[in-house]
Amino acid sequence: MKGRTFKHAMAAHCESGTLTALLNHAGLKISEPMVFGISGGIFFGYFESKKFPFPTFVVRSRPGQIRTALARRIGVKFAERRFRNPADGEKELDRLLSLQIPAACQTDFFYMNYLPGHVRVHINVHFVVVVEKRGEAYIISDCYSPELASLNRDSLMKARFAGGSFAPKGFLFYPVSVPEAIDFRKAVWKGIRSASFYMVKLPMPFLGVKGIRMFAQKVVDWPRLARDTEHLSHEIMKINIFLEDQGTGGAGFRFMYATFLREASELLNDRDLLEMSKRIMEIGDRWREISLFAARIGKRRDLGPDRLRELSGLIHERADAEEIFFKELLAMSKKKK
Amino acid sequence: MKEKEATVDYKEHQLVLYVEKKDGSYGPVRTGSYITKNYIDDFWYKRNNMEVEYGEKIRAGEISPIAYYMILEELTPSELAARVGISARKVKRHLMPRHFGTLTLDELMRYCGVFNIPLPNMFQEIVTDKKNVKIGMEKTDNPFFSVLRIRAARK
Repeated sequence: MKGRTFKHAMAAHCESGTLTALLNHAGLKISEPMVFGISGGIFFGYFESKKFPFPTFVVRSRPGQIRTALARRIGVKFAERRFRNPADGEKELDRLLSLQIPAACQTDFFYMNYLPGHVRVHINVHFVVVVEKRGEAYIISDCYSPELASLNRDSLMKARFAGGSFAPKGFLFYPVSVPEAIDFRKAVWKGIRSASFYMVKLPMPFLGVKGIRMFAQKVVDWPRLARDTEHLSHEIMKINIFLEDQGTGGAGFRFMYATFLREASELLNDRDLLEMSKRIMEIGDRWREISLFAARIGKRRDLGPDRLRELSGLIHERADAEEIFFKELLAMSKKKK
Repeated sequence: MKEKEATVDYKEHQLVLYVEKKDGSYGPVRTGSYITKNYIDDFWYKRNNMEVEYGEKIRAGEISPIAYYMILEELTPSELAARVGISARKVKRHLMPRHFGTLTLDELMRYCGVFNIPLPNMFQEIVTDKKNVKIGMEKTDNPFFSVLRIRAARK
């Protein structure tokens, strides 16, 4: 892997895309949906916290979990480091680049100034691959950028050592060994089992399918939490961004998961998985309707109680559909593991 | 989602979506962002209104510049405190104009680092009634000193 030219490619999601690119660079041919599916990345969580200015939701597992679960299930080993001292973090990255080893870094998305201003927000869980150092600038392979990008040293340092929730602390990683033979059957079913378990078996009311229901119940109360109509419109339209634009591959990762199940069905020659992939694709289509509906009512400022109840109803329907889907998938994973 | 439904012609903001392709297979497709293409004007309209509203509040002495940038960058006092490295209680005080003056230069610099703005922006608003000028603040190697460059825009 050392010395080979790094191939930049866009991907749907920064963490799964970064991992895919690094593994491909290391000689392991694996697709982004496989990385995402094997790691059990699909999820749902609804959060209200002092750390967020407004209630929010996530559609994927905890940041970093895609890497750790994937490593465990396919046997890839990553070198990982965090730094107390930013100077040490910078030195280590420069050392790796001087050895022509591309490394993934955890960053605050806000400082990725090669991306359009309207998408950049403070979130400490953006992953990029740093490919090269040219003078005072770093060459970045960011899954959300069509081309390799250049980022100045100051911005990269700020991004790598930003404080707050999920502070990166200069975290970087790169693969050090890839197994010669991987038991994909076992890895796929483990990934499916864990994702299904987290979607339907967690007791917390804000996680998994229960989290989708909580989102449906709470969204009708959002007008009470918003500063004014324009703020409410912004937050409602963010439903679309979280589901479609913020690195999900569409429909809150449901389309990517469908692609994973389709690929797994071909790999394992399993007709049931093919059927399930079609079903989650349909579920995703309905999620996309929700995101388009949210964008429409947000722009029109059509945010009265009836419209929000309609939105809530659509989200409840998704909860019902996903509960049935993931229960069946969990049962299937127990039978076929 | 079918491939043709996903395809959006918008080069300024590209992304990858997973779709059902014409041959029935599932896979990635690079396309433009639907929401950016269709709703970006609305985003900037709301953002501009917010800047005007909170800019007026600063001028009226109702909030401090820290409150202004915190709201624009969608941070909470507790998240901002963790990023700046001070207590949330202290941040809440700094949101009020009467306590803004008690900030140390070091704290102010740390706030500027989080907001990614030059130090003078904490004390001023740059406005112009001329359309054909470009104003840009440039950093120097001295963290306490920046250059305000005003250029005539090309006609």
